[in-house]
Amino acid sequence: MKGRGRAIWAAVLSLVLIITMVAGCGGSSSQKDEDVIKLGFLGALTGDVANYGIPAKKGMEMAIQEINEQGGVLGKKLVGIYEDNKGDSAEIGNITQKYITRDKVAALVGDPCTGLTKVAAEIAQSNQVVLFSPGATGAGVVEIGDFIFRNTMLDEVAVPVVVDWMIKENGWTKFAIITSLNNGYSTALTPIFEREIKAQGGTIVIQESINDKETDFSAQITKIKGVDVDVLVFTGYYTEAALIMKEVQKQGLDLPMVGGDGLYGQDLVKLGGDAVEQKVILYCGFAADQPSEQTVKFVENYRKLYNEEPDMFSAQYYDAVMILAEAMKNTNSTDPKVYKDYIANLKDYPGVSGNTTIRENREPIKSPVYLVTVKDGVFPSLVTKIPVNVE
Amino acid sequence: MFLEQLLNGLTLGSTYALIALGYTMVYGIIQLINFAHGEIYMIGAFVGLFMVSVLGTNIIVAMAGAMVFCMLVGMMIERVAYRPLRGKSSRLSALISAIGVSIFLQTLLALIAGINTRSYPNVINNRTFDLGFAEVSLLQILILGLSALLMIGLQIMIHKTRIGKAMRASSQDLDASYLMGINVNRVISFTFAIGSALAAAGGIMVGIYYNAVWPYMGMMAGLKAFAAAVLGGIGSIPGAMIGGLTLGVLEIMGVAYLTSSYKDAIAFGILILVLLIRPQGLLGQKVAKKV
Repeated sequence: MKGRGRAIWAAVLSLVLIITMVAGCGGSSSQKDEDVIKLGFLGALTGDVANYGIPAKKGMEMAIQEINEQGGVLGKKLVGIYEDNKGDSAEIGNITQKYITRDKVAALVGDPCTGLTKVAAEIAQSNQVVLFSPGATGAGVVEIGDFIFRNTMLDEVAVPVVVDWMIKENGWTKFAIITSLNNGYSTALTPIFEREIKAQGGTIVIQESINDKETDFSAQITKIKGVDVDVLVFTGYYTEAALIMKEVQKQGLDLPMVGGDGLYGQDLVKLGGDAVEQKVILYCGFAADQPSEQTVKFVENYRKLYNEEPDMFSAQYYDAVMILAEAMKNTNSTDPKVYKDYIANLKDYPGVSGNTTIRENREPIKSPVYLVTVKDGVFPSLVTKIPVNVE
Repeated sequence: MFLEQLLNGLTLGSTYALIALGYTMVYGIIQLINFAHGEIYMIGAFVGLFMVSVLGTNIIVAMAGAMVFCMLVGMMIERVAYRPLRGKSSRLSALISAIGVSIFLQTLLALIAGINTRSYPNVINNRTFDLGFAEVSLLQILILGLSALLMIGLQIMIHKTRIGKAMRASSQDLDASYLMGINVNRVISFTFAIGSALAAAGGIMVGIYYNAVWPYMGMMAGLKAFAAAVLGGIGSIPGAMIGGLTLGVLEIMGVAYLTSSYKDAIAFGILILVLLIRPQGLLGQKVAKKV
């Protein structure tokens, strides 16, 4: 009796397996149409950096929807494919491979993180597929090859402006820098801050390090408390930023924190609460109150569609899709080898996240630099915007 | 400054100690390294968070609730994943089973709660007190006080109650205890329950103090607590307490006076040194192997 029960179970289980396998195969074969243009989304929808990926996906979906409503590109509809890379470098490698070999995408849009973008870019370059990152701010991305582009506020461009603002506007001259050692973005951003602070006459009083995913920063903050500093520069991501500010508050310290757009995420507020209120200031390349006509329209439509405010990532992903579509239209081709040259020569493209020019070295230049903070629990709230001298 | 860092270290260390106790008690009785123990701590933090933020209970009720819930989870894990293997297969199978449970619970919580970091609402109005020679925060006092209270309670229970006596007997010789009429299965269940409750308390305290709760938080904390238990001498209850506090203080002092880049390397380096000199750990006893 017992043996028979097991046999029945085994039969049922194998049946379920077979059905799911068949269903899976059916799903992928029906998408084999040649009359659509596929774009592969790179970004995390869950995990530590999901605060970048979730709004990014919304921006991309909205752009695709708008383009399709206006007849698509070259008579074909755009289709976005959205896999969740969880902010994991192995995962993004697999997903990029899948997009290129199985989905045969015309372009990859992403990733928001520099380190992950580099992983995907190596694969995209060797397969000659265009990768357009609307978020990677660190060095060494477009150098990977001529199929790799990005459109975001570069750290190299923004940091000099931000350091100038800290020293001249605020009179902060004594700096503490905290780096997250297992975060490639952070270890790349810290030297830029170091260089600029020294060049502009500031003093780095203390340098401390942490690791992403750690939660105990008490020793580092107690050390910083023991020396005299005006401002804390943190080069990592929003989760750790919020936890560090909680520790700062817990130890009764009154210190502002300045960082890059790695701190850009709603979790900064959710985790940081009143500890980050008007204390954390970060630079980025987009703020919703930018007065250009396209931006106003974008913000309105985004609100209508998602019932929330767009952020930097949604705006930049939106722009990336629009730029790709424009390149394909103007070169009359969906072949990356053909349309990539159009992007390489982009001049003053009026995007919703500001004007973009791709320079000789294929690096974008955007202006102005926005400084944003948390105000009354609302993020991002504009502190100021500073134009960048393009020369 | 030194005293403040020492306090930071003791606070961190006391959370390690609370988790380490669970490892050491279970090991003491059935020689099993319960690798799922770090996950109990994580579940404790989540249950507490759920009670505080969704059910809106106060923190004391939440802590009691999480401790009771984790007791049940701990006993259930023992019943489902370890007891069926006990006596029938090698100790190694139970260890693999423990790793399996650990991965299962991590993924389960990731599925239920998502893998984003969450934080406790402000349940305690934190303040700092200037004692002249050092600044202490209210949270630190509460965590140190509560940990001390729990550990003292545990000591009293083990040395003054019948079940405590049964636990001590079982840890000396499980078979002999069984022959003497001790219901060893019940003792083992009870050990898991107590260890799990302590881990849950640790989880909630860490959640409130460090403000970060996520499904994989048990992994590193579990490893560190396990290291603390080994440092103190695995199987020894005072050893786990001292091991936990020592590891916490070492970590903090490493950052404070050497460099923050090698936080874990310093702590674990010293751990290796101690074990080279005293393989049985700080308070562990050398046991002559029975042949």
